[in-house]
Amino acid sequence: MKKTRTFSALRTALTAATAAVLAISLAACSQTGGSTTAGTSASGDQTTFTYARSAAVTSLNLWTEITSNNAFAIDKIFEPLVSFDKNGKIIDWLAKSHKISDDGLTYTFTLRDGLKFSNGKNVTAEDAVFSIEQHQAEKDAALPLTADIASVTAPDEKTVEIKLNSPYTPLLAELANFSNGVVPKDFGGKSEKDFFANPVGTGPFVVSKWDKSGDLTFTKNEHYWQKGKPGITKLVYKLVEDGTQAVNQLKAGQVDGIEDPALENLDELENGNDTKVETAGSWVTHTFFFNTADEHFSDVHVRRALAYALNRSDVTKAVSFGHADTAKTVLPKAIEYSTQDSIKPVDNDLAKAKEELAQSKYPSGFDAKILLASGNNAYSQAAQLLQSAAAKIGVKLEIESVDIATFRSRFKAFDYQIMINSAQADYPDADSIIDFQADPDGFSKSYWTSYSNPEVTDELKKAQVTPDGDERAALYEKIQQTLADEVPYIPLYSPQIVKAVRKNVTGLEVLPNNSVRFQDVKIG
Amino acid sequence: MNQFTAVLRRAPRTLVAGIALLAIMVLAVLIIPLLSPYNPTAEDISSMLQPPSLAHPFGTDQLGRDMLVRVAAAGRVDLALMIGVELLPFIIGTAAGLIAGYYGGWPNRAITLLSDALIAFPFYLLVAVVAFVTGTGITGIFLTFLIMGWIIFARTVKGATASLAGAEWVESARVMGFSDTSILVHQMLPNVLSQAVIVLVSDMVALLVAIVTLGYLGLGVTPPTPDWGTMIAGGQSFLATRWWVSTLPGAAVVLVGVALALIGDGLNDARRQA
Amino acid sequence: MLLVLVLVTIGVFLIVRIVPGDPAQMVLGLKARPEQIADMHHRLGLDQPIGQQFISFVGTLFTTGDTGQSIAYNVSSKALVLSRLPVSLWLIGCSAVLVVAISLPLAMVAALHKGSWIDQLVRIVPTITLGMPEFWVGLVFVLLFAVTLKIFPVGGIQPGIDGMLYSMALPSLTIALAQTPFIVRSLRTRILEVLKSDYVVTLRAAHLPERVIHRHVLRNALLPALQLYGMKISFLVGGTLVVEQVFGLPGVGSLLFSAITARDFPLIQAIAIYCALGVVLISVIVEIIGGLIDYRVRGELGCEQAGEAA
Repeated sequence: MKKTRTFSALRTALTAATAAVLAISLAACSQTGGSTTAGTSASGDQTTFTYARSAAVTSLNLWTEITSNNAFAIDKIFEPLVSFDKNGKIIDWLAKSHKISDDGLTYTFTLRDGLKFSNGKNVTAEDAVFSIEQHQAEKDAALPLTADIASVTAPDEKTVEIKLNSPYTPLLAELANFSNGVVPKDFGGKSEKDFFANPVGTGPFVVSKWDKSGDLTFTKNEHYWQKGKPGITKLVYKLVEDGTQAVNQLKAGQVDGIEDPALENLDELENGNDTKVETAGSWVTHTFFFNTADEHFSDVHVRRALAYALNRSDVTKAVSFGHADTAKTVLPKAIEYSTQDSIKPVDNDLAKAKEELAQSKYPSGFDAKILLASGNNAYSQAAQLLQSAAAKIGVKLEIESVDIATFRSRFKAFDYQIMINSAQADYPDADSIIDFQADPDGFSKSYWTSYSNPEVTDELKKAQVTPDGDERAALYEKIQQTLADEVPYIPLYSPQIVKAVRKNVTGLEVLPNNSVRFQDVKIG
Repeated sequence: MNQFTAVLRRAPRTLVAGIALLAIMVLAVLIIPLLSPYNPTAEDISSMLQPPSLAHPFGTDQLGRDMLVRVAAAGRVDLALMIGVELLPFIIGTAAGLIAGYYGGWPNRAITLLSDALIAFPFYLLVAVVAFVTGTGITGIFLTFLIMGWIIFARTVKGATASLAGAEWVESARVMGFSDTSILVHQMLPNVLSQAVIVLVSDMVALLVAIVTLGYLGLGVTPPTPDWGTMIAGGQSFLATRWWVSTLPGAAVVLVGVALALIGDGLNDARRQA
Repeated sequence: MLLVLVLVTIGVFLIVRIVPGDPAQMVLGLKARPEQIADMHHRLGLDQPIGQQFISFVGTLFTTGDTGQSIAYNVSSKALVLSRLPVSLWLIGCSAVLVVAISLPLAMVAALHKGSWIDQLVRIVPTITLGMPEFWVGLVFVLLFAVTLKIFPVGGIQPGIDGMLYSMALPSLTIALAQTPFIVRSLRTRILEVLKSDYVVTLRAAHLPERVIHRHVLRNALLPALQLYGMKISFLVGGTLVVEQVFGLPGVGSLLFSAITARDFPLIQAIAIYCALGVVLISVIVEIIGGLIDYRVRGELGCEQAGEAA
């Protein structure tokens, strides 16, 4: 009796195993025929665009969020009065026009006609006023408006007026940020928490299904003010954490686009049978930062020596596969007033590197460490290149690779000597980068380099209140040259913003802040 | 000489094949960097990512470094690491196993509890935590496997010791006045050692693969020190377009793995025959 | 066993707080101002002394069974782990089935033809996979079977039970290949031992058909091998991380990976505690099976064979 039972248990197990193997192969066969293309499930007018992203959307509060996983979902739901185009130029968006008074103290915006929220209600100037005031009152604001604002008013239904106590030129660019999107006044009667759980905005898409640790599905906003758009009915933000996995899903047609393809994969995707890439100039510069409070790197000659020793175009060539510009200055080319094409950088001259080191406090070299966040292949390659460049002038650099969270805690505590990190503008104004990277009084203390040059600080404060034009250009030119000469950091390369998509995707507008616009997207 | 060939003839074929393969790998890893005109850490961007050719039989990597000399140099690092990392856990684990198996009681319970708790702890969490505290690199790898590595030896040796501890000859040794330490070292150890060594050899394969996997997770050996894991991981984006960057170091890992597996298998057979 | 759980709970609580890195820095981004970070620390209770944090953590754990709100995802960490659990369980289950389906016939053939070339082949070929890192095998499978041949999905989970099986094929095969050599070897040894046993010799003497004898042999060899595999499975709990990562599967392993990166303390604690619970449960089951075998094997084979089972 006992024996039969054992045997039947065994037989059941074997049957189950065989069944499972069969089921898997059957499932495989049944699904090979219709090679599963995610996008073109063209039943009726339904078109879905599936976008692979490396992090999930965890919050849609436009005022408190800043990280790209949330920001680039928020900007599909909420839209600001002004925005920027592919080249970073500021354009009217919900406003049909805007005017800045000659004294730079009054900004007047006139709203477009026929603007509606996704719930069908009309957008009025009161909504815009409420949004800006709410943003100013938010104590956890991630991208607070820095202008000294006296009042925000709605003289009539279509007009929004912002008055300042003192001029502040970057204001318009700041307003173009996703964090200045327009929400319905008083959240349409809901609590703030409920509102952001199920937000209502003017953007082309509406949240329909949201897993905070997984995918987010948008549907088309039926009341979108750009008539006939968006062209797709559904937009899925699919969480694919691993980069190689995302590339392979794109190649196989499981997704229609990838938000952040690695530079190493670009030539493969660009020349693939089913894939292509869309690009735009970027506001990002990958940069070596020196801790100028460190005994070695407080010496300007040491910093200049390393900058001369390194060949930046080699770095660009090794990591970018033709999709980046070698950076010569702190401002990327896609930001107005960048002197990328005219500046004389401290770069690639071994003889001068040796001269500089000879003039420094450490003529015979020294030992130091490069702090590196692990898991970033391009950064690791760049660090190795700096290491061998430094070795040529007798400076022995060791690479210290730590995980990203440790990395952040370390450099924010000024606990590093050299690090590699990305410098990014949040909005299309030179001030967004210069203020963060050269103002020793800001909380970031010149991007945690402790670099301080009173002349530069004065000039950057002046540039904030100088209206756009030649005078402002001259100030930024001078600042950029000083930063290039004193080398608190070595800007390395500005990668293009690249999105990889299936070949049958058209109309994807890539933006220099790494976001995209989907309203013109068509599949097939 | 005759004796040697006799031993060779009697030894399981898998053991001979495994030792031969391992010897070839070790020799290659030692000799190639001496003969090669290239330096494993010297970049040459103008010749980056070249496919295998006469000048570079294994091609070049992203920074234009010769892959052949790098794979060999990485082999020196990884093989040394493999042996170095396994040594302490082997000694500690064997000792713990002997003590737990021989005395039983609370030493046994304490050792079992500790190993159970460690095994119940997600391995990756432990690895990550150690790496984050020490910084990624060799120290982290060493510590992680010190914490986890002893368990498998302790369990094997404990089982073997416990089954011997009740044997008559142990009892008589005790009656004859031998101390516990003496019994453990002179009587028990030689008897359980062969089993522990077999486990050691097969665990080395697992260890090598684990070190390589850490490189993939970004927790491995720090650049520019060449290491098979970081080389495989760094080349994974090129797998479809530039196969040599991660396939060739991968092949090296597989060969060493096969060699060790064969040796383990052979030792097992030899023990059974004996 | 309970003590193991207690140790793991204390261990994970302390360990995540020793590690450098700050959840607030990760959530708030690179440009977070110090006030924002201090504010968040206060909201999360991270500004309290560590002892107090531990008391409140253990307090909630025992009163509500909850492990707290995930910092990065802003949802209950317990709910999050439970929602990711099915994928990992499917992965472990499917790979276990594949291991048995692959190892059993191989071991049987090898044992029945002991010493022949088939035996050598079965013993040597699987060792090749021993030296292959799982992530590497996974990447090659994706390129070969998903991207080039388009037989299986590249990654992620397809809807439905058949979709699940379909999505599990490559990942579970990847795990199974790493386990097979070990199981084949021990199963083969077991089968040989049983074949040599007095019991089988008696059956042979009774001129029973070979087919029937094989069935008896298999039955007696399989259970110990399964027990051995059970021990291996406990390593797999939470250890499916690499494969989940490579195939983009939303399981507990990949959740742990992102939780650690984000220093999401409550989530890391939740995963560690639930994984430990899983491992403890499996070892209890394995022990029960072990008892069962001991009883059976002793009954049928005689004691001296069973004693050597370890």
